[in-house]
Amino acid sequence: MPGSAEALHIQQLVELMAVVSSSTDEASAVQNAVERSAQALEAEVAAVVFEGKVAASIGFPLGAAPNDDIVAVSLHEQDWLEVPGVGRCSVAAAAWEGSNPGHLVLARWDEPFAIEEQNLIRGMARLLELTLTMLRTLAAEQSIRESLQERQRLLEHLFTIQRAISRREDLQQILDTITLAARDLLGDEISLLWLRDEDDTGRARLASAADATGILPGSALTTELTDAATADQAITAGDVVVRQGGIAATEVVSRFGSGPVCASMGAPVFDSGVITGALVVASCDEGKVYGPSDVQTLRAFAENVSLALTDANTVVRMQQAHHDALTGLASRRLFMEQLTQRLAMADAEHTTVAVLFLDLDRFKDINDTLGHAAGDQLLTVTADRIAAQLRAGDLASRFGGDEFAVMLHRVDGPRDASAVAARIATALGKPMHVAHQRLRVGASIGIALSTPGGRTDPVELVGHADLAMYQAKRTDAGGYSLYDAATAARQDTRPGAVRA
Amino acid sequence: MDVSGEQEPGRRWMGVGRSRATDSGSAAIEAARGAMTGPEPKLLIVFAAITHDPQAVLAGVAEAAPDVPVVGCTTHGEIGPGGPADGTITVAAIGGAGFQIRTHVATGVTGRQGDAGFEVAGCVSGVNLPHKVLMLLTDGLVRDQESIVRGCYRALGAGVPLFGGAAADGWRMSGAYLFKDGRVLTDAVIGVAIASEAPLAVAVKHGWRTVGQPMIVTRSVDGRVYTLDDRPALDVYLERLDAPPEAYTDPAAFTEFALPRPLGVQRRSGVEARNLSTEVDLVGRSIGGGGAIDPGGLTWVMTGDEQSILEATDDACREALARLEGHPALGMLTFSCAAIRAVIGDDGIQREGARLDRWAGPLPYAGFYTYGEIARNHGIDGFHNQTLAVLALS
Repeated sequence: MPGSAEALHIQQLVELMAVVSSSTDEASAVQNAVERSAQALEAEVAAVVFEGKVAASIGFPLGAAPNDDIVAVSLHEQDWLEVPGVGRCSVAAAAWEGSNPGHLVLARWDEPFAIEEQNLIRGMARLLELTLTMLRTLAAEQSIRESLQERQRLLEHLFTIQRAISRREDLQQILDTITLAARDLLGDEISLLWLRDEDDTGRARLASAADATGILPGSALTTELTDAATADQAITAGDVVVRQGGIAATEVVSRFGSGPVCASMGAPVFDSGVITGALVVASCDEGKVYGPSDVQTLRAFAENVSLALTDANTVVRMQQAHHDALTGLASRRLFMEQLTQRLAMADAEHTTVAVLFLDLDRFKDINDTLGHAAGDQLLTVTADRIAAQLRAGDLASRFGGDEFAVMLHRVDGPRDASAVAARIATALGKPMHVAHQRLRVGASIGIALSTPGGRTDPVELVGHADLAMYQAKRTDAGGYSLYDAATAARQDTRPGAVRA
Repeated sequence: MDVSGEQEPGRRWMGVGRSRATDSGSAAIEAARGAMTGPEPKLLIVFAAITHDPQAVLAGVAEAAPDVPVVGCTTHGEIGPGGPADGTITVAAIGGAGFQIRTHVATGVTGRQGDAGFEVAGCVSGVNLPHKVLMLLTDGLVRDQESIVRGCYRALGAGVPLFGGAAADGWRMSGAYLFKDGRVLTDAVIGVAIASEAPLAVAVKHGWRTVGQPMIVTRSVDGRVYTLDDRPALDVYLERLDAPPEAYTDPAAFTEFALPRPLGVQRRSGVEARNLSTEVDLVGRSIGGGGAIDPGGLTWVMTGDEQSILEATDDACREALARLEGHPALGMLTFSCAAIRAVIGDDGIQREGARLDRWAGPLPYAGFYTYGEIARNHGIDGFHNQTLAVLALS
């Protein structure tokens, strides 16, 4: 099913980035941002305001935008917009600073913007700021022929980062690209990305590093945060810090320069809104002075790091919610979701879905005698052997402990499902090499089939397979048994039948 | 609001005529005459099967209704009282002093979809009655129809609802036609500003749900999806659905398999279906259709069945009629997706027709099976796949 609101918002930011970063001039970037932000928030109106003037808007008849009202909203002097033909709409606005400050304004008819939507709008505003900064830099430099080529290269560099994030390329590669780009753009010799230790031990890990020669090969360098002083200060301040001089030779950053480090600047990076590290640049040039535009540029790169980290971790969290960490099989939640959907499809197609419920025999004994590590290994081997017997479109799940469930779609009937159960039983019955021992662990398997066109309840179907498994265990350990309503009614003695 | 107008016979009216005659000229005459049930006809909307000769159709309509503005298109089936049909000419007429109509056409749309939408929306400035809708008829074989709708929105803003559909050609995928007065057009957009003294209401619904986990759109350009999860889109899509082997190699088999299984894109208020079944590239392993899917986005495979689709039919009609604010309805325009035919079959669309009949009661209604539906009340998006879009007039 579609992910959480947070996942949706990250997704919308990435989509906006893909579109805005492909803009080749300021006017189209602003227009794209206006249209895509309205689309993402299902808003009637979006507008961008520069210096008290509406630069672009959508949602009003041509030439009839109430520009004064939009500007008032951008300044938080008004909290509604009247949209002709729609009525009074709720509004949200986000501002950005820097060399070209501006505001993104949205208005929506049906419901006010939630807090997380306002955060999303702020993220969109920052993204637009970044893109506009780059485009304006390019435009300003166009008269200086010799620097044009260099600037263009850097502009392309930045857009490459944004596209890489939107395409979800390898995270390390994205972080390296940003680190290198920050070094280039600021004309420095050193660029370091520090990420705080997850357990908050006061240590930090060097996630990416570039010196005058380029990206340095991956190292496991970790240090006390206090020895990465610029990063430490940026993390504490929650904002960009600039250090002109006073950088100790003992600081980690000093290891990367060709001589003493004279100036350094750091910007915090965030994962899902929490400060998790800092992007740091440093120079050995005695005359190096960081100006306001440099601060702005570093902040923009740090925001790209934040976006990449947040996006990557959102994807990981979504996957974790759906898969069993030990075996990689589907989680119980995912299995039930998929089963529900498959049953609905089967109803429409008049086909049959089978559920096999498996319980390992003797698992507890092995766990108790050989230890949990061996038990885990056994479960992993079992999962692989089950998965190897399935077709594309079938699904195996670890339900918990030593219980597994399998969904078979489009089965021809009991015989078909029994054949798969027999194959799994045979595969699991073969010896397993676990903890330097050769073990034989069978499984008891219960089988239950949906009724074609019968709107089978997924929880009930799994429950039936579980009852059949219990029947198999009692009569023929290591074998399989088909659910039979009449038998089940007589013999349902198992306490606490499975609850999906 | 004109209350007295509702008492005045013929102040605003809608009529529908249909002919099953095989001769295009005489079928057009019969259908157009059948539709003109009131005074001062203002507009004829012609839905013609692709099997008819378009020039002969327009000549027939002009003979039956000289000097009445005509718009229309070819179809993948015509919708009207008596159920959906193939091979007919079905004509809707609206007229009376209580309606105003202006039309505008843009040609050479490919490559400038947004500008074309902006251009045709200009017709709305020619009407001044209080209730307005911009109806769009587009060429279903033009890509990126969203941009046409977006262009209209740029010109009109949020205040004018949009409604419309993309002309179809009975799955030949070789050429659908638009009609504008005496002209037969391709690669074009027709804008029709419909203004009325009484409310006009738009509604749209789909009956699809997502299946399984999302895929990431890792590369897409201009409505064509090249990779999903960094692998060729065609293969990922077919593997997810456990497709039969022939769907991997035979374009016709692919289209047949993919039609009832659109991809969904997530929006704030739910997942929208995107039909990517009609432009398969077996060499490049990419998929495409009329609707765009953005790079970087998540997409899901979707599925539906007759029950959920028919429920959506009911919901769309109910909502459109409810939006008339208590004014008695005159009739409905009903644009349904051609792909729905593939899902619920020819028997299923008869049942869809029965539902439309039930909602319309004695009122006229007409429409067609489209290559994309247009409906917008709120927000800035309005191009849809696999939906039923309804315009109710009062």
